[in-house]
Amino acid sequence: MKTEDLIRALAADTQDTRPMAARMLTALVPALLVSLAALWLVLGFRADLGKSLLITDSIMRFVLTGAVGLLGARIALVLARPEGRDEVRLWPLVAVAIAAFAVLVWAFVTTPPEGVQMKLVGKTLTTCMITIPLLSILPVTAIMWVLRQGATTAPMLAGLVAGLGGGGLSAAIYALHCTEDSPLFYVPWYGLAIAGVTLVSTMIGARLLRW
Amino acid sequence: MERQSDDWEQLLAAANAGDGRAYTRFLHAVSPVLRGVIRAKSGGLGEASCEDVMQEVLLAIHLKRHTWQVGSPVRPWLYAITRYKVIDAFRARGRRIDLPIEDFVDSLAADPGPDPTEAADMAKMIGMLGGRSAEIVRKIGMEGASFAETGKALDMTEGAVRVALHRALKNLAALRERHVK
Repeated sequence: MKTEDLIRALAADTQDTRPMAARMLTALVPALLVSLAALWLVLGFRADLGKSLLITDSIMRFVLTGAVGLLGARIALVLARPEGRDEVRLWPLVAVAIAAFAVLVWAFVTTPPEGVQMKLVGKTLTTCMITIPLLSILPVTAIMWVLRQGATTAPMLAGLVAGLGGGGLSAAIYALHCTEDSPLFYVPWYGLAIAGVTLVSTMIGARLLRW
Repeated sequence: MERQSDDWEQLLAAANAGDGRAYTRFLHAVSPVLRGVIRAKSGGLGEASCEDVMQEVLLAIHLKRHTWQVGSPVRPWLYAITRYKVIDAFRARGRRIDLPIEDFVDSLAADPGPDPTEAADMAKMIGMLGGRSAEIVRKIGMEGASFAETGKALDMTEGAVRVALHRALKNLAALRERHVK
C-alpha cells in the first residue's frame, strides 16, 4: 500500500475526536456517583454528618483525600498526552503527603498519651480497609479506561496516578460514612488503603497502558 | 478563496473538528519530517521497511489525534508519538535505537530522499482484516471512493461505512500490536 493511499483512508475517517478532558468527565463522574450510591445504600452516611463538617480534623479527611484524588485525575490527563511525560509535575502530590504528615504529627502531639493507642487503632479498621478499595474499583477503572484511549508514554506512572485518583476520591466518599475523626486513624489507614489501590493500579497500568 | 495555511496547529485543530481537507494537508505536511527521521535511524533497513514504519506511525497519529490539546504546540506532541512508535517498530524488527527529540529538529534540514516506495506490511494487515473491513479500506484508500460509492457497492448505509472504516483502522493497529508480540 502506498502511503498516499493510507493518508486518503485516514483523512476520510472523522470519527472519535472527542477531547480527553471530556472523556475523563463522562467516565469518572458516573463512576464516582455509583460508588457514592453504593456507600449510601450499603453502609449509609454517618448520622452526625452535618455536625461533623464543623470539626477541622473531620473536614481535613475530605480535603486531603479529595486533593490526592483530584490531583491524580488531573495528572492522569497530562500523562494521557504523549508529551505529557516531560511536562508532568508531581510536587503537588508530595505537598499533600507532607500536609497529611503534618496533620498526623500535630494530632500526635495534641492527643493525651494514653489516648493515642486507642485513636490509632480505632473501631472500624477492617471496614475501612475493605470498603475504600471496593469503592475505588469503578473510579480507577474509569480513569484507566480513559488512559487507554490516550497515548501515554509512561504507562507505569500513568497507572500510579490512576490509582491515586480513584483511590483518593473513593476515600473521600468513604469519609461520608466513617466516624473516625482523628488524624491518628485516618492518615495511616486511609493512606494505606489508597497506597494498596495505587500499587495494584500501577502494576495494571504498566501492562495495560502500552499501545 | 480559502487561505492556504501550513500552520500545523491550525491544520490539526481543523482536522479534529472534522475537516478532512485540512487533515490531508496536515498529514502531507508532517510526512517528510517523519520519513526523514525514520530513514536517518534505519541503518540500512531498506526503503520499503522504512515506509512500513512510516505507515505505522501515521496510523498511530491518526488513532491518537484527539490527545493533542487545542492551543498547545503540535510538534512536541507529534514527536513524542512518533518517537514512541518508531522505537517500538524498530524493536519489533530486532533493532534497538535511540531517538532523542533533537533528531527531529535536525531532520527538518535533512534531505528526505527519493519519493516513498510502496510498503508491504499494511496491505498484508488489511488482508488479515478480511471481508468488508478490508474492502472498505481499499475502496476509500486506494480507489479514492467516497462513502456514498462505497456504501452503494457494499450495500451499506453511508453512516455504517463511516463507522466500519473507523473500526477497521483501529483493528489494523490492534493487529499490528499482536503481530509484534
